[in-house]
This record gives sequence, C-alpha cells and structure tokens, in this order.
Amino acid sequence: MSKIFHLSIIIATLCIIPTISLVFAAETTGEYLDRKAEIWNLFFRMMTVAFVVGGVIAGTMVWQVWRFRESNPKAKPTPYEEKGEL
Amino acid sequence: MVLALAKARPVWQIMFSTHHTDVGLLYLVFSLLAMFIGGAMAIALRVELFAPGIQLIEDSMSYNRLFTAHGTTMIFLFLLPSASAVGNYLVPIMVRYKDMAYPKLNAIAFWMIPPAAALVWLGMADFGWYANPPYSVISAPAPAAEMWIFGLKVLGVSSILSSVNFVVTILKCKHPDMSLGKVPLLAWSFLSSSIIVLAAMPTFAAALLMLLTDRLGATGFFNPAMGGDPIAYQHLFWFTFHPEVYVLVIPAIGMMYEIIPRFSRRPIFSHSSGVAAFVILSLVAFASWAHHMYATGMSFTEKTVFMIGTLAAVPASAMHVFNFLATMWNGRIKFATPMMWAVGGIALFFAAGAGGVVNSAMPLDFITHDSYWVVGHFHLFVFGTIAFGTIGFVYYLFPYITGRMYSEKWGIVHFILAFVGACITFFTQHILGLFGMPRRIYDYPEIDSWISMNALISVGAMIILVGMVIFLANMIYSTAKGKPANMEDPFGLGGKYYYPYAQRNPHH
Repeated sequence: MSKIFHLSIIIATLCIIPTISLVFAAETTGEYLDRKAEIWNLFFRMMTVAFVVGGVIAGTMVWQVWRFRESNPKAKPTPYEEKGEL
Repeated sequence: MVLALAKARPVWQIMFSTHHTDVGLLYLVFSLLAMFIGGAMAIALRVELFAPGIQLIEDSMSYNRLFTAHGTTMIFLFLLPSASAVGNYLVPIMVRYKDMAYPKLNAIAFWMIPPAAALVWLGMADFGWYANPPYSVISAPAPAAEMWIFGLKVLGVSSILSSVNFVVTILKCKHPDMSLGKVPLLAWSFLSSSIIVLAAMPTFAAALLMLLTDRLGATGFFNPAMGGDPIAYQHLFWFTFHPEVYVLVIPAIGMMYEIIPRFSRRPIFSHSSGVAAFVILSLVAFASWAHHMYATGMSFTEKTVFMIGTLAAVPASAMHVFNFLATMWNGRIKFATPMMWAVGGIALFFAAGAGGVVNSAMPLDFITHDSYWVVGHFHLFVFGTIAFGTIGFVYYLFPYITGRMYSEKWGIVHFILAFVGACITFFTQHILGLFGMPRRIYDYPEIDSWISMNALISVGAMIILVGMVIFLANMIYSTAKGKPANMEDPFGLGGKYYYPYAQRNPHH
C-alpha cells in the first residue's frame, strides 16, 4: 500500500512540475494569450479525467448500494456483526 | 449513551445546565428552529420567483431583506449550531472525558446565539449575508445594518469560544491511554474545523469592526469616497468564509464516518487516511479564498494560484469518498433512515464538487460568475451535503436523546422527498445560470426558458418543504409517543457500539 502511495506522489509531482511555469505572470500580450490557451487546455484535460473518474465512482456507488444491501439474497453476515466493535 | 429526555425534567434545569448533553440538546433544538425559520424564508423567496411580476413580496427591498436573513440564518444559526450540537453530545464521550473542558464557557457560547439571532431577525438587513461594500457602507439602511454587524460579531465570538473548548477537550482532556491516532474521526473532524475557525474568524471580526467604523464615518477603509477599497473587504470576508465552508462540511463528513461503518456493519476502511484528509482540507481551506473574486480584476498570476489552490481540495475530498466506498464494500448495509441520508449526501457531495471544479477554473468562472449557477452550486453543497449529513445524524441520535424510536417509514419518505426536491431545485438552478439568469434579483423578464425553470425550481422547493413538515411531525410525535428504543442496539445492527449507552457521563 505504501509503495502505491509513494509511486502516486512521484507521478503527481512529475505531472505538476511542467505546469508550474504557468503560475508566473506573463509579460507580453502574446504570451498572455498563449498561457491562457494553455490553462484552458490543461483544464479541459483535467475535467475530462475528473468526469471519467467521477462517473466510474458514482457508478460504483450505485452498484454497491444494490449489491451489498441487507435484502440482497447474496448478502452474508460480516465478521464484525456479533463479536467485533462496529 | 446520552439519553437527555428519558426522565422528564423541568425545562429550566436543561436551560441552565452546563452538562455537555444538555448544552448539546439546546444547540440541537435551537438549530432546528432556525432551520425551519430559514426554510420558511426560502419558500417565500421561491414563491416570489415562481413567475415574473409581483407574487408575494411587495418590493425589492423586502426581497433583499428576506434573502439576507435566509442566508445568515441557515449558515450561522442552523448549520454551525447543529454541528456544535453533535460535537457537544459525542466529543467528550469519544475522548473519554467527563464533560467539555470548560463547561461554563460551553453554556455561555450557546447562550450568545439567541440574542445574536434576535439582532439578525429583528434588524432584517438588506445587503446579503456577505455585506459587500460600498453598498453596506454608504447606503444600507440603519439600524438594520448595525444590528446585523453586532449580531455577527456576537456569533463570531460564540464560534471562537466553542472552538477553543473543542480543541482543548480533544487535545488536553482525552484519556491518557488514547493516542491522537485513536481518536474517532468524528472528534477529529471537530478538531480540524475548530482550528480553522480559530485561524479564520479573527479576520472577519476585524472586517466587521472596520465596516462599522466606516458606517459611522470615523474611517474609510472600504469607502471609495474616502480613498478606501471595497475589494479589500472581499479579501477579508472570503479569507474567513471560504474556510468556513470547510468548517461546515468537515463535521458533516465526520458524521458520515459515524453512520456508514455502523450501518455497513464493517469498521472504517482507513482511519489514518480519514485523518490525513481532514488535515489536508484544513490546510487547503486557506489556499482558495480568492476564487470568489476572479471578476474583480485580479492578475492572471493570482487567478492561476488560487485556481490551483482550490483544486488542491479535490484529492482530499476524494480520499473521504474512497474511504466511504471501501467501508461499504463487502458490508451488509442496512438502509435505515440515517444511512440513506448519508449515502444521498455522498452522491450530492460528488455532484457539488464537480460544480465547484468548474467555478474554480477561471476560464469557466467568467461564464458562471454571479449567475444562478453559483446559487445552485452553493445550495447543492450546503443542503445536499452538509444538511443531509446533519439531518441523517439527527435521526441517528434521536433514540439516544429521547429513548424512543422515530417512525422509520416517515423518515424514509422525508429522505426521498428531500433528495428528489434537492435534485430538481439545485440542478435546475445550475442550468438556469447557464441560460444567463443573474443571482440576487427580485424579478425577471418574461423569457420562456427562465419562466419554466423558475417554476420547476419552486416546485422542487415545495417538495423539500413537504419533506420538512413530515420531519417536524415525526420528531414531535415520536418524542412523545414513539416506540421505546432498545438502547443497546436501537437500529438492530448487531455487534457492539464502541461508546455504549452505559458510558454516559453523570449530570453535574
């Protein structure tokens, strides 16, 4: 688990570093416009990823609610019900 | 556990008590009263906007007064006190201490709220709950504006006292055997939100004082005619009130962390990731305030910084959602009323978060700025996530407070009406914003799409109203005549609670 966590941090850092230059103010009009386009482009890509991930998670939640409900014939008692602390 | 009402006691004994469950009960009753008052105001606003022209409210000034009181009531008199109610009930028990660290201060913090509410409700200021200058400095009528400023000042002090109490109770009074890592996530949520209040609230306290002296003519901090800068107020305001959003949502997430494991019959998937997410949210809460102000002429650099700062909240929010999903996985979920509210709250939290990403992105913010999109986003977040978590937790606490069970059937009817009503009302408001309707307007032109969407939004609000009336009737009837609850396992979940009924703190 910790390896996945560390790997995620490294990947996230590698993704963020190239975008840092966008933070600094543009000095000429042309550059300003370019950076504005870059921000749009970055944001569009982020939104695409975010909505795909969001759709998968929302779908997973709907499925979970149906699959793990108490009244589902496949539902089994969890190990924590009688002995553990909930 | 707490059982505040099982044995009849004189009302004054509860009112003048400093015991944490009594103060919690006072907070709860007051916050629910404020919710119904604020809700009635919202219904009046929606009746007015049902169609173009005058429907109910005679003039724009009355409309402005009403939406100011509605916003102030819901945020400061319903959501914040309802979170304090839950914290007062459970935090001392969770950290295994006999009461809050400063019981008298706790009672004082509560009793500051009713006078402040009276100032807000009797004054009826008209400048919105954000009191933006220059209008609030130059033109807002007295004494309503002064009453609102004093009311908010008192509420701010109450919040700070309450937060000091939570921080000291959790950090200094927890049982010596209990490390901070073992403190339950609900208590962690109160620790995080209290620290945010302590860091953020003084800024607004200073802004209110500056606003007051500006109104008195002694200073001109925000008055352009005296060389002041109205935008400075917005910076001070949002420095407090963007973090305040997290102050409201973090306890609601903490409440979901109580409900979801119990009703899934599984322990929380990852306690440490929940703690980490609370800490990260507390930090990034202060990195995003200026995304409310992109349209004020900020530089490209500033806007980019605040856009990234706002988006930094996404991973921490996602950690909570993943934690909830992983907890429910392989569980045997009982969809009793509290669980339905919690799961509904998570679903709407996700939708509200997606809208927040759009708001925070400066290119898209200019399209949605000051439109009904923002009203929809804010309400989806505040009602769909925070109030859903809170109301679910009220159902969860009900047997512990009263010793009786509420009607499960009517609880579920309440949830369905609220969920459907929230989707109709707040999603439609998003679309209405994209169709160009500005927020905070008293009347609107006869544009077909605006008319039909406003009518739909008002119908959604009425559906929520019906649900809330059922909620009120259910609470009152069940408190008096509900079935006696099995206090060891009121929801029939099996297993043991880690803070059983027998652990209640004796009265003092």
